[in-house]
Amino acid sequence: MNSQSLLSLFAERGCDLPQIDLLQPADPFLDTAGEDLRRRIFITADGNGASLCLRPEFTIPVCLHHLASGRAQARYGYSGSVFRQRKDEPHEFRQAGMEDLGDTSIAAADARSVADALATLDALSPGARWHITLGDQAVFEAVIRALGLPAGWRKKLVRSFGSPEKVEALIASLSAPRERGNGHPAEIAGALDAGDTAALASAIARRMEKFGYLAAASRTPVEIATRMVEQAALDNARLSAEHIADLREFLSIRVPLAKAGETLAAFARRLDGDMEKVLAAFVARVGELVRNGIDLGQLEYDAAFGRPLDYYTGLVYEITRDGQALPIAGGGRYDRLLTLLGASSGIPGVGFSIWLDRLPGSMEHGA
Amino acid sequence: MTLTLALPSKGRLREQALEKFAAAGFPVSEPEDARSYKGRMENEPDIEVSFLSASEIARELAAGNLDLGVTGEDLVREAAADWQSRMGIEARLGFGQADVIVAVPEVWYDVDTMADLEDVAAEFRSRHGRRLRIATKYWRMTQDFFSRTHAIQVYRIVESLGATEGAPASGQADIIVDITSTGSTLRANHLKLLDDGLILRSQACLVSARKSRGESDAALVNRLAASLGS
Repeated sequence: MNSQSLLSLFAERGCDLPQIDLLQPADPFLDTAGEDLRRRIFITADGNGASLCLRPEFTIPVCLHHLASGRAQARYGYSGSVFRQRKDEPHEFRQAGMEDLGDTSIAAADARSVADALATLDALSPGARWHITLGDQAVFEAVIRALGLPAGWRKKLVRSFGSPEKVEALIASLSAPRERGNGHPAEIAGALDAGDTAALASAIARRMEKFGYLAAASRTPVEIATRMVEQAALDNARLSAEHIADLREFLSIRVPLAKAGETLAAFARRLDGDMEKVLAAFVARVGELVRNGIDLGQLEYDAAFGRPLDYYTGLVYEITRDGQALPIAGGGRYDRLLTLLGASSGIPGVGFSIWLDRLPGSMEHGA
Repeated sequence: MTLTLALPSKGRLREQALEKFAAAGFPVSEPEDARSYKGRMENEPDIEVSFLSASEIARELAAGNLDLGVTGEDLVREAAADWQSRMGIEARLGFGQADVIVAVPEVWYDVDTMADLEDVAAEFRSRHGRRLRIATKYWRMTQDFFSRTHAIQVYRIVESLGATEGAPASGQADIIVDITSTGSTLRANHLKLLDDGLILRSQACLVSARKSRGESDAALVNRLAASLGS
């Protein structure tokens, strides 16, 4: 199957096929995925010093295209070369995928994304068996809320979701108190001891002025004062041994998707918090997957599976070919991405991308 | 065979390098014409000495255009992503000490550690409509320290080639990664070092470019390293 027939398949499934330039402005990628991407992409500059890069992926340019089009809802398909600096692999490789933007029926759009990915893979490698690992950021967030931690700690844990080492490090620091030296100037220490955020903020503002710092250029006095007061609560926040065990148990859940709803419901009953809404959404998505004709036997739920990027919000999935280690396709829901890219109000998005070069012999070169 | 060796061309670094080489038994005669950038090692005619800026020395070593050079470890680590496969540190020379550090405004009384900074970075976009900005000339080391060591992904680097410590006050950046030897410039700019914000204790080093050398050249490199390192 060549790139052209792949694009026809996307068009048949209701996709627009936008033209995405090979040379892209680098800032949107670095702003969203983070500076670490800089070492993994090919950056150059134009004559005026603006940073440009060779297209490192399609999702962000497709989202920018969607924002520029002004449309509320659309589906997009793409296929072409992307460029990354990789040690022992070629720098240029091919990706194809779809992005579904603006559909507010979350469960239906999630399931359709998985169905689209499977249909594309089936067209590329007829007769192959696929294994899908599914995770859900929203379920993890609900569990963290149910454990009753202060907001600051919840945010820390949510950010580390998908990175087992980081979650482990946070759990460890939640079981031991933190000592913080209080070497603050008298004026600051006094206001902090009194828990007086307003007095603290004006003391900080006076010092910023004295030091010649612009008050509005960076973190504001109120922001710093608020966090100082919150910090006392964070430093003292502890998770009971019982709750740590609960969290670890949750993260070790790995069950066939058909049983995941039941497993999660049983787990939720043991915690006091309210997980009903999130679990209902989870179960609704399973129903939609069935409605799309997907055999649940190939799907597994992994409670610890996520992507530690702040714009992923719900479903994440990864597809491997039976017997192979490297994922062939990755997908997920990124409801915060379009706002990061400049949308004035939230636009939901879900999509997947296939690593075509990991499907040996399935694609002719070209396009 | 000839080995090329570059020494820093300016200031204290040049003086200290020359002193160190002389003390180790490898005196270098400086060019008679002050505008020339070539020197000579009287008792080692096989070593060709030139004077270059310290950052150029690191770059030329990384490119394999020099055999040996005296430059700061900070510049060596910054010169290439895979610096260890291109260069080897043969000897630490005991001068040019400076630390590469993460510093934040002194008034950030709520930020003492990289973990605090991670919280601030994560919330920055939603509060200020942009990512946290770090001014530095060390973008590789900054990325390594933030992204790999501390798994902080959401920040932007603002490349700064001079007066980096002034960037937070003027609003060009929020924090800095810079080099400091006594900390006095940091204090003068009302910046503070984070408790775990030390990225590298740097000093001047004898650095070799990794390439295959004949037996006698390799022995000469070892002899030089052993005399300078002791």
